[in-house]
Amino acid sequence: MSCAARSALLRATLLAAFAATAGCSSLGVAPTRPAPTPAPAPPETSPLPAPTEPPPVALPPSLSRPAPEPGRDVAPRRPQSDATAASGALLEQSRAQRAAGSLPAARATLERALRLDPNNPEVWIELGELELQTGNLTQATAMARKALTLTGRDVRLATRAERLLRAAE
Amino acid sequence: MARRATAIQALKKYGPLVRRLWWRALAIGFVATVLVGGYFAFVATKEFEGRRWDIPAQVYAAPLELYAGRALSADDLVAELKRLGYREDPRLPRPGTFRLSLGRMELATRGFAFAGDTEPERVVSLAFVGGRIATLRDARGERTAIVRLNPLLIGSLFPSHGEDRLIVAPDEIPQLLTDTLKAVEDRRFDSHFGVDPIAVLRASFVNVKSGEIREGASTLTQQLVRSYYLTNQRSGFAAWWRKIREAFMAVALEIRYEKTDLLHAYVNEIYLGQDGARAIHGFGLASQFYFGKPLAELEVHELAMLVAVVRGPTYYDPRRHPERALARRDFVLQRMVDEGLADNETVQAAAERDLGLIAGNRRGSMQSAFLGLVRRQLGADYARDDLERTGLVVLSTLDPAVQAAAERALGTGIETLGKNSADLEGAVIVTSPQTGEVRALVGGRDASFEGFNRALDARRQIGSLIKPAVYLAALESGRYTLASIVDDAPIVVQLDRRNTWAPSNFDNEAHGLVPLMRALAESYNMATVRLGLDVGLEPIAATLTRLGLEKQPTLYPSMLLGALALTPIEVTQIYNTLANGGFRVPLRTVRSVIAEDGELKQRYAIQIAQAADAGAVYAINRALVQVMERGTGRTVDRLLPQDLVVAGKTGTSDDLRDSWFAGFTNDHLIVAWVGADDNRPTGLTGSAGAGRVWAQLLKSLEAASYEAPRPADVDEHWVDYLTGDPTAERCPDAVLVPMPATADFPRAFGCNGETGLGARFRSWFDYGR
Repeated sequence: MSCAARSALLRATLLAAFAATAGCSSLGVAPTRPAPTPAPAPPETSPLPAPTEPPPVALPPSLSRPAPEPGRDVAPRRPQSDATAASGALLEQSRAQRAAGSLPAARATLERALRLDPNNPEVWIELGELELQTGNLTQATAMARKALTLTGRDVRLATRAERLLRAAE
Repeated sequence: MARRATAIQALKKYGPLVRRLWWRALAIGFVATVLVGGYFAFVATKEFEGRRWDIPAQVYAAPLELYAGRALSADDLVAELKRLGYREDPRLPRPGTFRLSLGRMELATRGFAFAGDTEPERVVSLAFVGGRIATLRDARGERTAIVRLNPLLIGSLFPSHGEDRLIVAPDEIPQLLTDTLKAVEDRRFDSHFGVDPIAVLRASFVNVKSGEIREGASTLTQQLVRSYYLTNQRSGFAAWWRKIREAFMAVALEIRYEKTDLLHAYVNEIYLGQDGARAIHGFGLASQFYFGKPLAELEVHELAMLVAVVRGPTYYDPRRHPERALARRDFVLQRMVDEGLADNETVQAAAERDLGLIAGNRRGSMQSAFLGLVRRQLGADYARDDLERTGLVVLSTLDPAVQAAAERALGTGIETLGKNSADLEGAVIVTSPQTGEVRALVGGRDASFEGFNRALDARRQIGSLIKPAVYLAALESGRYTLASIVDDAPIVVQLDRRNTWAPSNFDNEAHGLVPLMRALAESYNMATVRLGLDVGLEPIAATLTRLGLEKQPTLYPSMLLGALALTPIEVTQIYNTLANGGFRVPLRTVRSVIAEDGELKQRYAIQIAQAADAGAVYAINRALVQVMERGTGRTVDRLLPQDLVVAGKTGTSDDLRDSWFAGFTNDHLIVAWVGADDNRPTGLTGSAGAGRVWAQLLKSLEAASYEAPRPADVDEHWVDYLTGDPTAERCPDAVLVPMPATADFPRAFGCNGETGLGARFRSWFDYGR
């Protein structure tokens, strides 16, 4: 609360101090935009870009790397699925089947979970573990990799996926 | 006189000889009868004994999964239940019924068992809120995680011009059906010996009196024999000969077998309808064919109609001649009363009902294009005979609701295209990207037409659909990011010593120096060719192969702009890998195959392989989102709900001959093609033609937005979409561009690529807003 107030005050002061600064007209006007930005852009009205070498063009040299990267925070996280509860129940069921030694049934149940909740890394990990158990290392590896693209910030699942990957590779 | 005397003399003279001949003829006749009869008896019993019906593989759709949270409105569920032949009945008297009230549904599910995968019958209650299943509870009011409906029988892999049937076990045959069959077709079935002389006399009398054929004289056994072995010759000597053989064989079967065996065979054997080239045999399949539900669930009026059809499936075809079928059905109902099989009240009520057929004649062949792919994929593992004759059960990936939506979208989508739409054709394929399961496949505007399957066999130039592969190869080379600059300026490619190639843009303009993201989103040709030649044709072809293209494209520069003819299913495989984050999954239509005895024969498990760098694919997919928001897919995007984020790509071949659109959300990949079979120009771009079909379908699927988790080794930077310069989030035309974390991309604090101190200072004000 006080932090917000202070930053507002700071901003107002600085605004006044730099009111005369030319250049960016959108300062103080641009609303915060959700990302990614769907702007209705007429692309043909672009100002001519600064001439650059024709392709291939290397990346412009780095000036400085800002500490907090805005991109980090707006990037989508793992989408919360509508099917989380249902796929959770199926995960439980497949674990029971696996414990009872019925691997094909466990696999079929996991695939069922996958259809409802295909971006759930846990399902991919457990499928991969089954593949590992049945000696299919190629599939176990691929499924661990697939899971790793989906774990986002879930450290626990990422660790599990990496463990599977190491075991399978 | 003299002649007479001669005759008498001759008689006297030859009498004993004639008498001897007479006896001999009689003896020969007897022996012949015994031999012929014995032969027929032998043939009949041998055939009956070793009788294996040719049962084509029966293909089922994916079962519908019900769970709290699922986007499914009550209306959609009712549509699904109707397809499955569920009946609204407030008492929920048995499986296959439901009760609907405001925002709630009670449902008695059927349950099923396929090779160890069982789903019990259940009574559940669902509450709907905002087009979703809000809660799912069992009969005791406890929350239930998930329930499956029995899968819809969608068709079978019957031989061309062949018999199709669905065998029912003796205990699945309603008593009322067999009783009614006897009452209508063969009153003395239980007592006669295969033929029924009384019936012959009676039928002749009735028919002569009424002047039309009201009753037949053939016993059920004779009908069975006729259906088994004999062709239907109706006149002359052949007809008499047939009658004789029929009688002999019927008697032989009667001597050898129990009445119940014969009745069971009859119920599964008899011809009951026609669906194009497919002959509907047996009451089990007829029940599905006409009413969409199992035989055991048929109501009195429905059973009566099936029995009515026995007499003449063509003449009494309930879909083509409903008035005839209705009259005959009511006659059957009357017989039920006469014979005391049903009380007057029940029959009166039944007679009030209409025929109650499921929609149209489309059902049997509606998914014929999908079944074409099933057949092709199973053909790799099964001999044709195994598929057509051995009674396999095939559990497929088809989603009937998506299939119906896809057929509708293609039909109405093309109709809205206006003047030239008359002879336009199209194809649509829908998959679940992560599992590679094909959920719907439409091979032409007339989905019931079992002809040219465009989804599998129309090989057409793909145009700009190829571009994501070109840009993916560029990113994977490590020399580019989507913010790299490429020159969209005229380019002349030396093909050989004499020929050059000068591609131009669709708008015939050059757009100068543009970032890759914009060049892809706006589908700039000159930029793409320049980029592609720098990356190299071979790496691009290799990328296509990794994405799932099986054939090797010819390495001409024109390949870069999609001078490459592919089928919609081939395109779908490539885009499925993109939609699945760079993981290739072979497209599948079959989950498992079960043998006639119920044993699992084969499971087709999900097989995945990483085909491309996950970070590069993530970036390409973000560019495909820009296609929709700023690029060539804008007009398509406008047809969708405003806040729906999708990724897509248009494809248009030379002279506007082919209109393609491929695009996806998290749950659906849809590829649509529109064009003319004779390959004439259609005047349609990818977005104007196929894009409309695509959007209409996606809209009806109520898809959720596309969002992929960002791989750990990818950062995102704000880049000016027009120039590729670093820019600040708040600036116009700022887009987030994913890049490898190793790429050193400058941070901008101003809007025109300013990275200086002043801009940086100003940017402080924007923090926290």
